[in-house]
Amino acid sequence: MRRKILVNVVGVLLAFLLGALVLLIQGYNPLEVYFRLFQYSLAPGKIAYTLSNSVPLVLTGLSASVAFASGAINLGQPGQLLIGGLLATVGGLYLHLPPLLMIPALLILSMIGGALWSGVAAVFKYWFNMSEFITTLMLNMIADYFTYWAITYPFFEKNATYPQTPLISKGGWMPEWGNFNSSILVMLLAFLVIWFIVNRATAGYEWRISGQNSLFSRLGGVNISKNYMMVMLLTGALAGLAGGMVVTAGPHRFIKDIGANYAWDGVMIAMVANTDIILTLVYGIFFGILQTGAVGMELITAVPKELIQVLQAVIVLIVVSGRVYFETLFTKLEARRKLKEMVS
Amino acid sequence: MSIIIGMINGMITSATPILLAALGGSLTYYAGIFNIAMEGMMLSGAFFAVLGSYYFHSWPIGILFAILGALGMALVFILFAVVLKMDEFITGIGLNLFALGLTTYLLQVVFDVRGMFSSPEIVPVPNIDIPLIENIPVIGDILSGQNLIVYLALIATIAVNYLDFKTRFGLRLRAAGYNRTSLDTSGVSANRVRVWSLILCALLCGLAGAFLSLGVITGFTKGMSAGKGWISLAAVILVSGNPTGIALISLLFGFTDGLGLFMQRSLPSQFTSMVPYVATLVALFFYSIRLKKRQTV
Repeated sequence: MRRKILVNVVGVLLAFLLGALVLLIQGYNPLEVYFRLFQYSLAPGKIAYTLSNSVPLVLTGLSASVAFASGAINLGQPGQLLIGGLLATVGGLYLHLPPLLMIPALLILSMIGGALWSGVAAVFKYWFNMSEFITTLMLNMIADYFTYWAITYPFFEKNATYPQTPLISKGGWMPEWGNFNSSILVMLLAFLVIWFIVNRATAGYEWRISGQNSLFSRLGGVNISKNYMMVMLLTGALAGLAGGMVVTAGPHRFIKDIGANYAWDGVMIAMVANTDIILTLVYGIFFGILQTGAVGMELITAVPKELIQVLQAVIVLIVVSGRVYFETLFTKLEARRKLKEMVS
Repeated sequence: MSIIIGMINGMITSATPILLAALGGSLTYYAGIFNIAMEGMMLSGAFFAVLGSYYFHSWPIGILFAILGALGMALVFILFAVVLKMDEFITGIGLNLFALGLTTYLLQVVFDVRGMFSSPEIVPVPNIDIPLIENIPVIGDILSGQNLIVYLALIATIAVNYLDFKTRFGLRLRAAGYNRTSLDTSGVSANRVRVWSLILCALLCGLAGAFLSLGVITGFTKGMSAGKGWISLAAVILVSGNPTGIALISLLFGFTDGLGLFMQRSLPSQFTSMVPYVATLVALFFYSIRLKKRQTV
């Protein structure tokens, strides 16, 4: 446990050090840049805002973590997020219910949207044995163009200069108390549910075992295809929920490029967290802090906020490789110690 | 007639970047590397091509920079996947996102723009007219006057085919993928062969990137590789790395792209843009059906 924390902290610090080097070369003061970054996202009045920014990151991260841990290479989070967001938007445009019914309805719609899109890939795999790794990637591009079409033609807001839908009805807006957006509660709830399924439920155990050793789990009586189907649908629903959150807690409409890079960031979060559910939450919030702070950093120090995108990728590469490196190092040391004991 | 010529030329144009990247993927496929970093290498190549061409007002330097840019990505891949033995899949995904982040960051730092950069000072890669052939009607319009990189892609197809199957390096390359331990025990470092395959892959992906930003369009757009690296990966998998097969399948993808443009008269452009990705799904479908049949027989 302590070793795990050490690898993560050292990895992140190393990445920041590399970033500082780049900043120094460009003639910025790295200490000031980093200070502004965290000051902007962690100021007392800002924390709730930062947390709500990490909602889509955590949700897509959970989606990728569960998928990867279960051996389903679902890389379709970007597409699932978009379709989920679109379905929630369409529901928000045509349904007019009191908020108590409206919000759950939209959230369920967004999950259905995401599950529908991952379901396509799952069915491809189930019936035709087509690798979900490439089909989900292709479905991402198709979802991208499909939603672009949907907001340009059927659900286009008249007189708008940018492809976007009209606002969804007020009842579907996620309530906000001051800076605190209720989407954070949805995120925490999703986290608890997923943590419980993965760590305490039979289904989660079967998923993880299938991910680690498919043959072993099949011999143990696990229904591989049924579990695969469930994992794909669940992870699609999670990514779809992220899309629903982005719409109902954000601009309350579907705007082109609303998915930003959330879903790919989610994939990175799952990789850097080594598909650990708690670490996924931690890294999701951490990436949220970085992305929120990036805006402040750019405002004050003029360092482009895209720096954070680079930093995130560097963090992933360094932490993951560090983990691999340390693991082999520790096993080597262990082996040497045992050898010495045997000799003496 | 001119419509057909236009479609064929469109097919060649959209096939070229996929072909080049997939040829690179073929080399790493034979070397037994699960290389999904073509997307990132291509994107990096496209950016540095514009950088080189813009600052030195010369397209050869643009191409050189493109190759160096893709090579930089390959070196990162080598560092993490080969030296530090990190999972190739995670390295690839990380690298692709690193390339996306880096190019958007540099776009902002170097050119001070967001989203896209275009300038009349960027010198594009020229089209080449072949004497004599250019005068033949119809055929001349297709065989001659293509972009230089299109011809390079053609040469690359032949070269990679030769390299894979007719040279000692090719034999070692395939051995590294087939059984790396036996290659290692025969005194040839499998890792060295793998590194070389990645370097050659970067060279080809760099060319593909240069074609995107100095060939078809002159300028760089954020994330302009738009899944072409993934399509080329699908192409490699579909034909199990065979360079000739890759050339044919790239042309097929190019054809669907041209078909999409053709359909734009009756369909919204968003749907016609989906065509190459749908075509990849369809191709994968037939591939897996064929695989299934072979397994049951």
